[in-house]
Amino acid sequence: MTPFVDPWWLPVIFAGLMGLSILLYVILDGYDLGVGMLTRLERDENRDLMVASIGPFWDANETWLVLGIGLLLVAFPVAHGLILTQLYLPVVLMLVALILRGVSFEFRAKAQPEHKHRWDHAFFAGSLLTALCQGYMLGAYVLGFDQSFTSVLFCLLAALGLVAGYLFVGACWLIYKVEGDLQKRAVRWAEVTLWLTALAMAIISIATPLLSERIFTRWFRLPEIIALLPIPIAAATLFIGLAIFLRRPVRAKDELSWVPLATAGILFALGFVGIAYSFYPYLIADRLDIWQAAASPESLSIILIGALFVLPVILGYSILSHWIFRGKATHLSYE
Amino acid sequence: MDNLDPLILARIQFAANISFHILFPTITIALGWALLGFKLAYNRTGDAAWMDAYRLWVKIFALSFAMGVVSGITMSFQFGTNWPGYMEKVGNVAGPLLAYEVLTAFFLEAVFLGIMLFGFSRVPNWVHTMATLLVAGGTTLSAFWIIVLNSWMQTPVGYEIRGGIVHATDWWAIVFNPSMPYRLTHMLIASALTVAFLIAGLSAWRWLKDGGGEGVRRTLKAAVYAAALLIPIQMFVGDMHGLNTLKHQPQKVAAMEANWETRPNVPLVLFAIPDEKARTNHLEIAVPSGASLILKREAAGVVPGLNDYRGNHPPVPPLFWGFRIMVGIGVLMLSLSWFAAWTIRRRGVDAMPRWLAWGLVTMTFSGWGATLAGWYVTEIGRQPWLVTGVLKTADAVGPVGSAMVASSLTLYLTVYAVLLTAYIAVLYRLARLGKTAPDDKPMFPVPSIAPGPAAPVEEEVAP
Repeated sequence: MTPFVDPWWLPVIFAGLMGLSILLYVILDGYDLGVGMLTRLERDENRDLMVASIGPFWDANETWLVLGIGLLLVAFPVAHGLILTQLYLPVVLMLVALILRGVSFEFRAKAQPEHKHRWDHAFFAGSLLTALCQGYMLGAYVLGFDQSFTSVLFCLLAALGLVAGYLFVGACWLIYKVEGDLQKRAVRWAEVTLWLTALAMAIISIATPLLSERIFTRWFRLPEIIALLPIPIAAATLFIGLAIFLRRPVRAKDELSWVPLATAGILFALGFVGIAYSFYPYLIADRLDIWQAAASPESLSIILIGALFVLPVILGYSILSHWIFRGKATHLSYE
Repeated sequence: MDNLDPLILARIQFAANISFHILFPTITIALGWALLGFKLAYNRTGDAAWMDAYRLWVKIFALSFAMGVVSGITMSFQFGTNWPGYMEKVGNVAGPLLAYEVLTAFFLEAVFLGIMLFGFSRVPNWVHTMATLLVAGGTTLSAFWIIVLNSWMQTPVGYEIRGGIVHATDWWAIVFNPSMPYRLTHMLIASALTVAFLIAGLSAWRWLKDGGGEGVRRTLKAAVYAAALLIPIQMFVGDMHGLNTLKHQPQKVAAMEANWETRPNVPLVLFAIPDEKARTNHLEIAVPSGASLILKREAAGVVPGLNDYRGNHPPVPPLFWGFRIMVGIGVLMLSLSWFAAWTIRRRGVDAMPRWLAWGLVTMTFSGWGATLAGWYVTEIGRQPWLVTGVLKTADAVGPVGSAMVASSLTLYLTVYAVLLTAYIAVLYRLARLGKTAPDDKPMFPVPSIAPGPAAPVEEEVAP
């Protein structure tokens, strides 16, 4: 069939859709993974409640990763092969960790009670290792897969940074979803991880332009710099504003408990826009752009029809699912 | 480790992952429909025994689904890590099919699964039933797209090659490619049989322990009847699938039958040790003209032999044995399910002899065995091609070193062994606990806030 969109635009649209999927994945599965890591700090009833708070959502959230990687695979097949063979080891470890995390969720509830703590360990370890691997991959991607010693150090730093980010959004999710003492502790976790996240974002934002001359000029030339200034300013304002908000005691009716989560989502989105702006139109820094990596316009058109029809539906029922399981987390029941 | 062939290692690794993965969709595809059946039976009769069955099997569904999701994510990455050449060459066809799989099916399952599992008291009853339907439909749709792609790799049509890259020319032809209808039907029934024997096996095991109550008797009976009904249909469909393969991939059938020469009156080999070096069979036991009769419907029918495809046919022993294992399990399934159905029909579940129940227990996971054996036949049977006539497997393999692949393979295998053990152990545990399985009360205490609109049906059934 003939493309119904200017072929020049197709890779741009798909890069946008892929970016959106990855961003949604990072925010949505980010809170799952964050909660998974935070389970280590609680035990018994509270731990069950924390797990229950992400119960109905985690596999739909994880599916955004499949969609993001799927779009990379189908729309930019060349880049998919190049990127994933470069990231072979962290990808393998992340997959094993995702497997452990996902199945522990089921096994901890269904295995014999004396084995439950083992699956709790696996749940925590899987969440942590997933976050570390994804952070490492983010670092490696930003550096264009450079393998020198300093680059590996940077990747390890990025790994810790993403762990901090996921802990932060996980704590914000708990503020929104739980009550009482557990909620108070979640506020404290959010206060600590907020600054770690800010630090990590600052380091990556400073490092990225220094690595590539092209990215440096994209950010620090007139008039772009004026148009771009709102991004770091907004991020800084949100970080400080949220820090102040978290110091205040919890409202009587808990009506603003969604604010930290929403702020965390916006902060992730700002960080994402920053990285996307630095890289566009390259999929692999300064080597492969989206037009070089794209599949044929005919195939992209076919996928686009499906995507335009299905994506709103998917978004719709993701929202529906979050609405059905709205309010404070209760202990999930198959009843 | 570096002396091992990277191609063989990449294939073993991919095979290990996809074999582990297929175990779980094979269960969820048909179990989704079985759950819908239980739910509808409950809606119609209001009989709590059906809801007991639903509550037990929805937990097994949830566990199998989670195993399928996590191992499926591995697959979407391994296209890139193991076979970068695959998407580069045929991405224009494979891409849209995979995209539609993710878009239409995966999400449908993942989102409505939450409502199906946890929403019974939070949404109206009809929404819960609808969620069950959508999840079952989603798993089946998922299977549809994957089978379309796999079948296209076996029998590619509707494309042209421009600049060394495959471009789609006719999507209708690609989706309904020659082997797709046969493979899809064969796989869907395979899934149904796997689930029938799983339900029958676990129910029989529970029945042997302490009778298990009305829910167990009912699922046992339903599963045995379903198996007895489906197995002859599966054999018929399998035969049609074989004839279709003979038409489009004759070398695969030749390897399955270990037939070396193109000739009439080809015997049906029951046992042999195929020798690819000498290009002959040792210790052959065969039914004269059997293969000609099956494949050509006449004793004098000419059946193609492997020597017509020297250097361009799949390895013979795995196909020969894989096919015999699949058919052998099928014959066992037929005899056992018919005998059990006959006994239950005449004398009821409780009058079943214990050895028969033990027979069903032994066959609990037989569907997995047959499904894997069948997939090995069809996938190894495509070699040396990845996409028949278009792309050789050796040309798609990635640059990752043998040591790296070997160590990650070891890691995967260890994880899979642990998970499979835990999975089977939990299945038996859930079957033992039955309707009092953990999720009902202890793990998640009673909801502490007002639930959404409650199902009116609940009040009617409440004791």
